[in-house]
Amino acid sequence: MDWLAGAWAIFRKDLRIELRSRYAANTLLLFALGALLLIAFAIGPQPVSARVRAALLWIVLLFAASIGLGRSFVAEYEGKTALLLRLHTRASMVFAGKLLFNLGLVGLLTVVATGVFLLLLGSSVGSPGLFVGTLALGAVGLTGVTTLLSALVARASGGGPLLPVLLLPLLVPLLVSGVGATRKALIGQRWMAAQDELLTLVGFAGATLSAAVLLFDYVWDE
Amino acid sequence: MSSSAHTALPVRRRLYRGVRGLVVVTLTGVVVAGFLGTIPQLDILEQSARNLYFHVPMWFSLMAATVVSAYHSARYLRSGARVRDLRAREAARIALIFGGLGIVTGMVWARFTWYEGTGVWWNFDPKQSMAAVLLLIYGGYFVLRDAIDAPKDRGRIAAVYNLFAVVTMPFLLYILPRQMPSLHPGGEGSPAFSQTDLAPAMRWVFYPSVLAFLGLAWLLYTQRVRLAWLREAVRAPDGAPEPEPAPHR
Repeated sequence: MDWLAGAWAIFRKDLRIELRSRYAANTLLLFALGALLLIAFAIGPQPVSARVRAALLWIVLLFAASIGLGRSFVAEYEGKTALLLRLHTRASMVFAGKLLFNLGLVGLLTVVATGVFLLLLGSSVGSPGLFVGTLALGAVGLTGVTTLLSALVARASGGGPLLPVLLLPLLVPLLVSGVGATRKALIGQRWMAAQDELLTLVGFAGATLSAAVLLFDYVWDE
Repeated sequence: MSSSAHTALPVRRRLYRGVRGLVVVTLTGVVVAGFLGTIPQLDILEQSARNLYFHVPMWFSLMAATVVSAYHSARYLRSGARVRDLRAREAARIALIFGGLGIVTGMVWARFTWYEGTGVWWNFDPKQSMAAVLLLIYGGYFVLRDAIDAPKDRGRIAAVYNLFAVVTMPFLLYILPRQMPSLHPGGEGSPAFSQTDLAPAMRWVFYPSVLAFLGLAWLLYTQRVRLAWLREAVRAPDGAPEPEPAPHR
């Protein structure tokens, strides 16, 4: 099968299954909404600093992703469809398709969570362009790391709670530079001021995605 | 080291004994000279500068163990030989031990220099925090190993996690700490050590100390590998695990 067609077919398969049950998207969004509401209640009406706001937003995003994105590979093993995929497609197609699907989920999560976050904590964004750019770069890095690790965890018997344990330490560089750039965006600094953080985000996304593509073969093939 | 997979034990005994003798002598010398030798008196640092002989070699040993672990993980993915998995696992264990010791010695040092008079032990210095994250990653490595039952899967999945984690380590250890304000030497683009930082008298203790601690890490590592290898041999029905097959890729 043509590589692009294969990857696209995997993506469409996942999307169709997701649209039937909407399990992953609903879990992800409800988790994020619940966490944001808890934060809003816990903080109360006093305004908090931009640093704390940026940190809270990123923590919610990271935890929601680590809880909501683990399903896609587990479902292949539980439904005994992994072998079928292995017969018909190459490992890199599966990875690309799942990555694309997860990117869609993380994108949805980021948009909804950020919207609710801005609504609840009533904060204005000083430089919207930088804010969106930071979130987009962070979402790419987050998706790459989470997709590979969820494939790893699907092979473990423990399953569920293992993913956050493995994922969160690896995402520390993303969290630190994401929070830094988001804080600068919230207080209205320019792109140039956040250049270190943005470059780190780009580097992190690039390095982890390349490594994930190389390593996924060993996870997927028996 | 690479030819050792074909012998009965994955460790050469004569080399081990030689290194052991050297490490015992050198480490004794380092401890004596480290506590009794004369050092330059500097403000703030004062006698705590002696910690240099112990704190810094811990980090060198951690780095060496990290590299060894990643190397054997990569070799395991290529060849699938059990001994590679054992080596990667034991090197990760050594990295955890020396990382823990490095954090403890660093905390004590920071408490009595940077945070003197405040009573603070831990104040989120970037290097400290990132080192703690590194230990969390290796902790996750062992949790992942325990969660997988089939030895072949366990070795492969753990090797993938190990290599993937190694990709993020430069961010943790080199990129982020240089972007944040830190009291630790090695910030703002300068190396942690330059030629002029260290008094000549201290070099005579520091360099042997680095070698001795690296040797100690190697001794612990090889003994752990030997033990793990013997355990496998006892468990396996037909004696020793199979030697390394030819790489299939």
